[in-house]
Amino acid sequence: MGLNYYQIKKNVQSARKLVIRATNAAGSGHPGGSFSMAEILGCLFYKHMRYDPKNPNWEERDRLVLSKGHAAPGLYSSMAVAGYFPDHELDTLRKLGSRLQGHPDLKCPGVEFCGGSLGTGLSYSIGIALAGKIDCKDHRIYTIIGDGESDEGQIWEAAMTAAKYKTDNLTVFLDRNFIQQDSYTEKIMPLDENLLGDDLAEMWKDASRWKTGDKWRAFGWNVIEIDGHRIEQIDAAIKKAKSTKNIPTIIISRTIKGKAVEHMEDNPQWHGKAPSSDVMPMIYAELESQFMIAPSIIAGDMTNLENEVKRCATGRADYIHLDVMDGKFVPNKTFDYIKIKELRPLTVIPFDTHLMIDEPVKYIREYADAGSDIITVHAEVCEESSFGEIHDWLKQNQVGVGLAINPDTEIPKWAYKFIPSLDQLIVMSVVPGKSGQKYIESTHEKMRRIIPILTEQKFAGCIEADGGVTLENVSACFADGARAFVGGSAIIGKQDVRDAIREFRGIILQERRKLLLEKANNLGGAELVKKWIELHVIGQKQEQIKKIAEEARYI
Amino acid sequence: MSENIMTDMRSAYSKALIDAGKEFPDVVVLGADTTDSLKTSGFGKAFPDRFFNVGIAEGNLVSISAGMAASGKTSFASTYAIFLPGRAVDQIRNGIAYPTPQGRRGLNVKLVVSHGGLSVGPDGGSHQQIEDIAIMRVIPNFRVFIPADTLAVSKLTHLMAKEYGPFYMRMARPKTALVHSESQEFQSGKGILVRDGSDCTIAACGITVKMALEAAEQLHQEGISCRVLDMFSVKPIDGIILEKAARETGHIITCEEHNILGGLGSAISESVSESYPVPIKRIGVQDAFGESARDDEIPHLLEKHGITSFNMAKQAKKLRNHTQ
Repeated sequence: MGLNYYQIKKNVQSARKLVIRATNAAGSGHPGGSFSMAEILGCLFYKHMRYDPKNPNWEERDRLVLSKGHAAPGLYSSMAVAGYFPDHELDTLRKLGSRLQGHPDLKCPGVEFCGGSLGTGLSYSIGIALAGKIDCKDHRIYTIIGDGESDEGQIWEAAMTAAKYKTDNLTVFLDRNFIQQDSYTEKIMPLDENLLGDDLAEMWKDASRWKTGDKWRAFGWNVIEIDGHRIEQIDAAIKKAKSTKNIPTIIISRTIKGKAVEHMEDNPQWHGKAPSSDVMPMIYAELESQFMIAPSIIAGDMTNLENEVKRCATGRADYIHLDVMDGKFVPNKTFDYIKIKELRPLTVIPFDTHLMIDEPVKYIREYADAGSDIITVHAEVCEESSFGEIHDWLKQNQVGVGLAINPDTEIPKWAYKFIPSLDQLIVMSVVPGKSGQKYIESTHEKMRRIIPILTEQKFAGCIEADGGVTLENVSACFADGARAFVGGSAIIGKQDVRDAIREFRGIILQERRKLLLEKANNLGGAELVKKWIELHVIGQKQEQIKKIAEEARYI
Repeated sequence: MSENIMTDMRSAYSKALIDAGKEFPDVVVLGADTTDSLKTSGFGKAFPDRFFNVGIAEGNLVSISAGMAASGKTSFASTYAIFLPGRAVDQIRNGIAYPTPQGRRGLNVKLVVSHGGLSVGPDGGSHQQIEDIAIMRVIPNFRVFIPADTLAVSKLTHLMAKEYGPFYMRMARPKTALVHSESQEFQSGKGILVRDGSDCTIAACGITVKMALEAAEQLHQEGISCRVLDMFSVKPIDGIILEKAARETGHIITCEEHNILGGLGSAISESVSESYPVPIKRIGVQDAFGESARDDEIPHLLEKHGITSFNMAKQAKKLRNHTQ
């Protein structure tokens, strides 16, 4: 399909919602393991894999083998989003007469492997890879195995075989979510080291205890280790795997079981359980309110932007916001595409390029070529035809499209036709031109005005709050509807960027919990609020959420 | 029928595979460190790019064969009987038999094994697979062949290379005498009348077909006309030839070097009991394990379990007296 970062993200969100819908309708199924691999499937289906939903047996297609077959709802949902079958077919999951069997099955066109019995999919993939080599085909084989599944000896038989036959057309993802049916993998059969306590977070803190990669390296594989929920990291790893010759590649993807729904995350209970109908509206709302933190590097040391980018990377920023100013549209000058090109090799984190320049249509190609993942231009310097040109060109070249409006600007009427396909809308909360300004309070009111227009025009992108966003006002921005947050001095200005980002996330998370509790209260009063709270059993979540509910007098 | 020449099933398989390799470019052959013994290594010499040795890893062998078949190959996977159905039944069931690519029944994998039954000899009970027919027969979409001689091996190998679908073929370790003539045709689901007779029927498979012919000869000396059927196609079983035998000869003796539970005798009993019930006596391993026997002792090992031409004739007479 070749979609941009933002479209992939949106499709992953749609797929997750379908997993909830399908497992709820079925009354059983495996949402946890479907969610841990959601981004991996997203990158494969919507960017890297070659296939044709209308001709699922096309010989030149790339093959996806879901060896951890119990995550079938995840596979089917991604396939529905990719166009193999309509969404409503997911309602037949696990039911009599359905093509969507409880475990992936060739009865469903497009499914490549009958999964269910664990440990066999990697060998099967080697068979496909070897057949491809015999026939001199250039299609690729992507296989997803689980960490629990790696208990099976056949995985290691296959590991040796792939190395022997140099199946470099095979790329394996290990969905390393640390949970199997009975408990944490490190308790049942450690791939890394024994888990000492009951807190999985312990495993995440100390990379020296991760041994899984060593195992695969010892078996003769090219090993890439990534965060399996970061689209940009998955994307980069797939590219690396494609260019690696004579050796198979495994991408060890550290993931979170149940990722994106707080009460399912890291919770072994959600390995194989379906959500009940009454909590679905909250789960949907939660999935729709994922948020991103984008530090703006111009708030840092302008003489050493390289270092600022590195600080963003170690700080685990979601995007890096690049404010380009030309000294014409705004009085200041920052940098241009030449600088962006220099910064690009430093990280794979998406570049969120905000062009505060005159006549952006003239330079759009340069900024895209420099490595921007999304480019936002100002409505004030565009009209329908020039923005149309920008919009179409960026879409065709897999770059996200953003539109920005200044504090005193409304969304122009000519832009309405582009709203459904916009990836991002920046509602400036300071007058652009320099860093460190104070948030303009009337922006909240403006947001309340804009939201109905966006809803009416079917906006499906992300609103980015940009300008004077701080720990104090970020909850209000979230409540307004913003889902991406540009942090200038409030993040980059801080000594410890990682800490600052963590703090931002914590505050937004609290605000999101409030939003979900409000929804529960509106839909089912105290009873549903209590039920929602009780679902959150891992770590300190339950106490924290309960406190919010009590403060709001829902219980 | 040149009765005295003993030939080796594995050599016949090897040659038939190479012929199939020439005729069908999609044929690939996979082995698990027994390729010299199975003689599939000959195919590897002829077609090095289509031959894969995956080591002592039978589950891996089966799943890789399945993956290749899913990509349009005709996979022949071979090792000893004890290590395929006996070890990799899950990979066989879920990996080969269960998938329905584009509505077809199962993947195009042929599991061809040697060393079936007690006649494995010296390796002993751990290596004498006496459950494989039962295991393979109950897996949907699989067809199960037990050839009686090298001619059957050659022709069935060609048939499997040509016909789509999962097959299991079990060969015996010892050299065997020819029971079929060069012109004999083999069809899946069609038993072969190897000797006509009207007083009783012996239905056998594999090396016991030869014994059945000897039993028929003994009975003939005693004035009893015995029909002999080679039921090489255990699944699908030939219900027509069995019903005819039941109707015309009144009773049936079955014989196989396999547990009497679930093997050829069971398949025949199931069929005949629904079409034309007559008394049936099953000869085979009496639900026990085998043991080591030197090559020259194999007939005695078989005898211990009643698998002899003498016992077939004896049981035929007994059944005949009982029913008359």
